[in-house]
Amino acid sequence: MEKLKSKADPQKWLEQYGDLLYQYALPRVNDTSIAEDLVQDTFLSALKGLENYKGEASEKNWLFAILKNKIIDHYRKRSTEQAVLAIPDMHIMDDHWFNEEGGWVESRMPNDWQPASSLVERKEIQQIIAGCKDHLKTMQKNVFILKYMEDMNSGDICKVLNITPSNYWILIHRARLQMRECVEKKWLKT
Amino acid sequence: MKKLMMKFLMISCNEATLLMAKKEEGKLSLMARIKLSWHTSMCVLCKKFEKQSLEIAKEARHVMAEEEMPFFTREKIGRLLEQELPGK
Repeated sequence: MEKLKSKADPQKWLEQYGDLLYQYALPRVNDTSIAEDLVQDTFLSALKGLENYKGEASEKNWLFAILKNKIIDHYRKRSTEQAVLAIPDMHIMDDHWFNEEGGWVESRMPNDWQPASSLVERKEIQQIIAGCKDHLKTMQKNVFILKYMEDMNSGDICKVLNITPSNYWILIHRARLQMRECVEKKWLKT
Repeated sequence: MKKLMMKFLMISCNEATLLMAKKEEGKLSLMARIKLSWHTSMCVLCKKFEKQSLEIAKEARHVMAEEEMPFFTREKIGRLLEQELPGK
């Protein structure tokens, strides 16, 4: 253990993983100063928890696991204030994708486009997704981030955001409709 | 009888797209799965929606910001880590 401690080189961590952690955190918390704080806290927790680092995961994966927990904590802390914000989100019905019978409204029907194939195209579509996500309403954005960018399941997301499952499904349904439409518009323009 | 069964199985595009989100988590009953696959087998629009939503889900987890950590933040964290380093 002592050996590990003495080997720890936080300056090297910062140099090697600082940008990566920051670039991961930023689109997931949507705020530069929060992202900076989370990266800083990640390194500090890592230093404190060096004894718990068993060397099973790579140093990079270990730091990322800590950061991911910090991101979830960030959402958990804000959940009480945002649960209130979710209420207007739930009742805005200006997003008509479907007619009264539940069929697609003509102007919003999905068009044809091909998924990204090359690495360059994938980077491109990832940037489009990041941009489109920012246009979602607050609670829709939160569920989208936790579900698709953090890969959590709906049960855990409900707990973290302090919302009911029925609210969750409404939010994620609208977020998916909105995202697909936005990505399509930007993707077809490229 | 056949008509009644068809009516029972029929779901709207609105419902189908919602069921797709639930399907991702394996949260669909057998009945709902049958309804959904019956719907998507006939509905080109929902089929496109499903395929494109899966593409978005696949790529979303790899989203990274392009900008690097601001210089002053890096300096600040660097100093802080130096202080906190065990044994110093």
